[in-house]
Amino acid sequence: MADAPLQALEHEILAPLVIDAMATAGLPKEEIGALVFAMCRPYTLQKYFATFMANYLRLPLKGTIMEVLGNGMTGGMAFDEAVNAVALGHSDVALALGINMESQANSAEHMMTTMRAVGDVDFHSIFGFTPISWYAMDAVRYMHEFGATRAELASVAVKDRRHAALNPIAQFKKPLTLDEVLGARPIVEPLGLYEVPPRSDGAVCLVVCAEEVAKASARPYALVRGRGFFHEGAHQINEVPNDMTAFVSAQGAAATAYRSAGITAADLDLAELYAPCTIVQVLAGEALGLTPRGKGAAQAAAGETSLGGRIPICTSGGCLSRGHPAYSTGLLTIYELWEQLTHRAGERQVRNARLGAGSCELGNYNAALVHVLEAVA
Amino acid sequence: MTLPIVDVARTRPWPPRVSSFTKPFWDALAEGRFLTTRGRTSGRLTFPPKPFCPYDWGREIEWVELSGRGKLYSQTVIHAVPAAFAGEAPIRNGIVDLDEGLRVAARILGEPALDAAMECVVLRYTDGPLFAFRGR
Repeated sequence: MADAPLQALEHEILAPLVIDAMATAGLPKEEIGALVFAMCRPYTLQKYFATFMANYLRLPLKGTIMEVLGNGMTGGMAFDEAVNAVALGHSDVALALGINMESQANSAEHMMTTMRAVGDVDFHSIFGFTPISWYAMDAVRYMHEFGATRAELASVAVKDRRHAALNPIAQFKKPLTLDEVLGARPIVEPLGLYEVPPRSDGAVCLVVCAEEVAKASARPYALVRGRGFFHEGAHQINEVPNDMTAFVSAQGAAATAYRSAGITAADLDLAELYAPCTIVQVLAGEALGLTPRGKGAAQAAAGETSLGGRIPICTSGGCLSRGHPAYSTGLLTIYELWEQLTHRAGERQVRNARLGAGSCELGNYNAALVHVLEAVA
Repeated sequence: MTLPIVDVARTRPWPPRVSSFTKPFWDALAEGRFLTTRGRTSGRLTFPPKPFCPYDWGREIEWVELSGRGKLYSQTVIHAVPAAFAGEAPIRNGIVDLDEGLRVAARILGEPALDAAMECVVLRYTDGPLFAFRGR
């Protein structure tokens, strides 16, 4: 409730996570040389949150400190930049972290800002396009071209909720039926309430370090084995008509990531995709080569992307049920991969998980960032 | 060619900014013409109009009139709308591929099917125009 008394402030929530993360990594705070923050939402009053936190945590830094902003890709870019800080030798230990508080925001007012982020202010926002309205148009086109059904798309939300029920940090764990998903009030047709993201709060801290540091710590870790990025040079829609639902940026980023990891999509044991809507998970899964083009929805309905299926997608419960604190979602993606690849995922553990892919995106997947992580035997 | 004009008895929920460069577009729209720019050296159209050509970065451009005709690529009905659009909810918006090879997003009138033949119309609000498409 917007008028409820304050219970906790951003730095009071994030600092204990940093301490926990470093304790889990078995590293002393003096080793940290770089802090890369996912930028906070505008609702966070403390500006220059990164340097404020460096003071709060008493952390002198010889590497770098920054807040990154990459629209929906923000959390993923924070991780990417922390990896870079280590790879470039700026610091042997870097933290990728963020806190995204927005559940108190009024949705209609929140969208007055986000509508200006997902389109040309003077030629798109004038019509009231919202972020998820673009995904809804993906859904309409996809069903038209490939004959995918509403029930097949909706099955993704049911599957994600089943996964989330096994995830202690998930926002929504109560079981959801297909009928409930299909009968929900419409938000952006054809998508209803359970096929679009909730408003979420979330905080994450990841420890990124040089491999020799990880080895010396004698703690479980995962390796960053591949990375790919692509931006198609278009903002929401390509002014030259193209196949909008192919998600060409995700295709390009995945191809680069797989090549740099020396793998193919078939080698992956799981994937954690940035997918704010059911349709986005289907299309991103196809673009990453996890399901065949045009078959992603049907394969989700058939259980191929569920835990225990051929290629589990969004074992965390994904944006729809784990939650979607947008600027931190990309960090949560890597967190889930780390849990799976260090075999800490409990009841939702993918057996013998060795290779996992994570994606994040901005716009209508106009850009994508894909990481491949590997378990250390 | 003059586009059909549909009167809307209220102000635009979120009016566009009009710059000295985009003024010809909005002025023409008010008169029933749908314009954009073409690079003189590349010969390529772009939308929205730009004061240069995004393909070869040539600075010489010309204003050209579009047919306003095309096909409906996709659409949605937005029920959860930004605050300024509360008075227009639910909103049907869509993507139209114009005959000239440009993809445009706009308001959709009626309930056309995907791939339907579409035409551009001017929505004449009390404070100025917006463009929209409907089946033809």
